[in-house]
Amino acid sequence: MNYFISLLIGAVNSVMVFLNGTVSDHFESFSSSIIIHTVGFIAIIAVLLLTKTKITLDRKTPLYLYSAGLIGVGTVVFSNISYLHLGVSLPLAIGLLAQTIFSIIIDHYGILGMKVIRFNPKKTIGLVLMAFGIVIMIIY
Amino acid sequence: MLFIYLLAAAGSGITIVLARIINSKLAEKIGTLQGTLINYIVGLIVSILCFFVSKESSLITISRYHSVPIWAYFGGIVGVITILSSNYITPRISSFYLTLLIFIGQLFVGIAIDYFILQELSLGKLIGGIFVVLGLSYILWVDKKEALE
Repeated sequence: MNYFISLLIGAVNSVMVFLNGTVSDHFESFSSSIIIHTVGFIAIIAVLLLTKTKITLDRKTPLYLYSAGLIGVGTVVFSNISYLHLGVSLPLAIGLLAQTIFSIIIDHYGILGMKVIRFNPKKTIGLVLMAFGIVIMIIY
Repeated sequence: MLFIYLLAAAGSGITIVLARIINSKLAEKIGTLQGTLINYIVGLIVSILCFFVSKESSLITISRYHSVPIWAYFGGIVGVITILSSNYITPRISSFYLTLLIFIGQLFVGIAIDYFILQELSLGKLIGGIFVVLGLSYILWVDKKEALE
């Protein structure tokens, strides 16, 4: 079930990339980011009102936990820089490689309080198969 | 310079995973909906700051808003769905699997969107995607075998 939900998130992501990409075709990157965040902001406010959710901020919550929105804008900046100079395919492949390696490191060491899941070297064959698939995608 | 561009590409991947994990940690502390709200408030403020600092503000003309099809603006709503669901799933699955499964879901729906809406079929993406699925299946199989032993 968890695997299915993850696949579904990817599917929804694709729709999002398509829609947001259309907005970005017409505006510069930060302008698009403002538009996209404003629509999302209104949507989440609507959900909060409909579900009558109360918001309580805990002073004990470490400040860095509030930084995801900032890091998200970092993603926008990084992709813009790389797409501008490297085209579409290469940043996509490098971005995925970085995501995969970073995820393996996070699992392996349990960084940021995540569950420790040691990397099994036998999985390297699977990674090579994937890398091969990505190379095909780039070359075509 | 090339090195910096490659580093930026890697940075875009790392920040995606980092933001996902930090978001889910905040959601654990203050609630999923509340965490998503914070994410949007911070993202919006930072975007507005960057907008002015980068002098992009001088490039804006109102007429451009009319040239964007209305449906494209729903991307922001779809984004909320993505963040809500990833806040739910991130603590429940290994970061490695989540990265790969999201990629596979995104890839095949991306191919479908290209095919049905933009009327183009990328054979390379399809064949490459099948290899990515094969690789992931192998990794899942290794895990299953280890669990049984």
